[in-house]
Amino acid sequence: MQNKKINPVMLFIKESWLLIVCSFVFGLLLAAINAAWQPRIEQNKIGNISDALKTVIPQAKNFERIWSDEQITLDESGKAQKVELFKATASGKTVGWAYTSVGPGYADKIELMIAVDANFEKILAYKVLFSNETSGFGDKIKNDYYKDQFKGAPADELELLKLGDETVIDDKIIAISGATISSEAVVSIFNTYNTTIKAVMKEKGLLK
Amino acid sequence: MADDKKTFSVFLAGIWKENPVFALLLGMCPTLAVTGDVKSALTMGLSATFVLLCSNVVVSLLRGLLKPHLRILIFTLTISTFVTIADLFLKAFLPDMSEKLGPYIPLIIVNCLIICRAEACASKSGVWISFVDGLGMGLGFTITLCILGAVREILSLGSLFGYRVMPDGFITMFAFALPVGAFVTLGLMLGLVNIINTKLAK
Repeated sequence: MQNKKINPVMLFIKESWLLIVCSFVFGLLLAAINAAWQPRIEQNKIGNISDALKTVIPQAKNFERIWSDEQITLDESGKAQKVELFKATASGKTVGWAYTSVGPGYADKIELMIAVDANFEKILAYKVLFSNETSGFGDKIKNDYYKDQFKGAPADELELLKLGDETVIDDKIIAISGATISSEAVVSIFNTYNTTIKAVMKEKGLLK
Repeated sequence: MADDKKTFSVFLAGIWKENPVFALLLGMCPTLAVTGDVKSALTMGLSATFVLLCSNVVVSLLRGLLKPHLRILIFTLTISTFVTIADLFLKAFLPDMSEKLGPYIPLIIVNCLIICRAEACASKSGVWISFVDGLGMGLGFTITLCILGAVREILSLGSLFGYRVMPDGFITMFAFALPVGAFVTLGLMLGLVNIINTKLAK
């Protein structure tokens, strides 16, 4: 008796038609839901950036997006990082610059919106755009106690100290007790970005 | 009448007798990771309930067509579809909570509670029983997460749903906001449930 030969394509379809149909139906469902909600998700992201800009440079009347996804090489590894840069103006005068930055934290990445003055000499403020730091410890990087130390500090190399007077505004930042890694992560983001962004802006004629 | 009793016992099993956390010890990852406060625990619990309900119903509808070698693939495909919907919903309507829960919502895909119910109940039962099982298990999971979240939030921050509930002199214990607090609280609650079950058995 001779075995009947089965076409491999037919066999494949016979064995997996349910999976193919399910993939197609679920794919359509997800595409429809994504199309319906994506504008709202995008709006939330824009709103988040817009709120952050108003928080870090409250005196600004207008924000102009200078770089939307500029690729900047930040370290010797040569890996480029996407940076968004905004120019803050009031009465036609530049009052500051704000840019997005990212670096590793204790639990996850930390994303910051950093604001500096018009000449890129002093830090104005920062706002945490994203972080997953430990509740009650690392998430204190969002508290005024820590953030206020950066307001007016030089936009150059900053140094993290475990002890000191946090009310003195200089290049020394006093770490949050019990959250040294998160404190260090924020200082490291400032140190990684400030010098490079300043140099690139000068190169592109945005700064004198 | 007998059917009503069976349905009710399936629903109750998820809440107490076969509670996903206290009895089956399933879904431990979100149980330990996102119960630092009640809001996060509630959002995680309701998201998992939505996925569990939908996947149970779909798997039950497809049960006559399932082939042994495609079973797990279909379960995973179904679960991941509803997890993506839950993730998109949170990103669109609760962006702060979506950011806070981070990767734990997409990780519902690998929550063994959901695949366990698809395998143990939905692939062998009718749509109504699968729906009730999903609802019971989901609510059992949500209630447990909320109790853990409430205990940890009160002890670590002195608050509930973000509102201060403890008097000014109350000394907060930050350890309960950390993973160690999750393990200690869960351990104590498991012990308490075992004591209650032993007394009920007598």
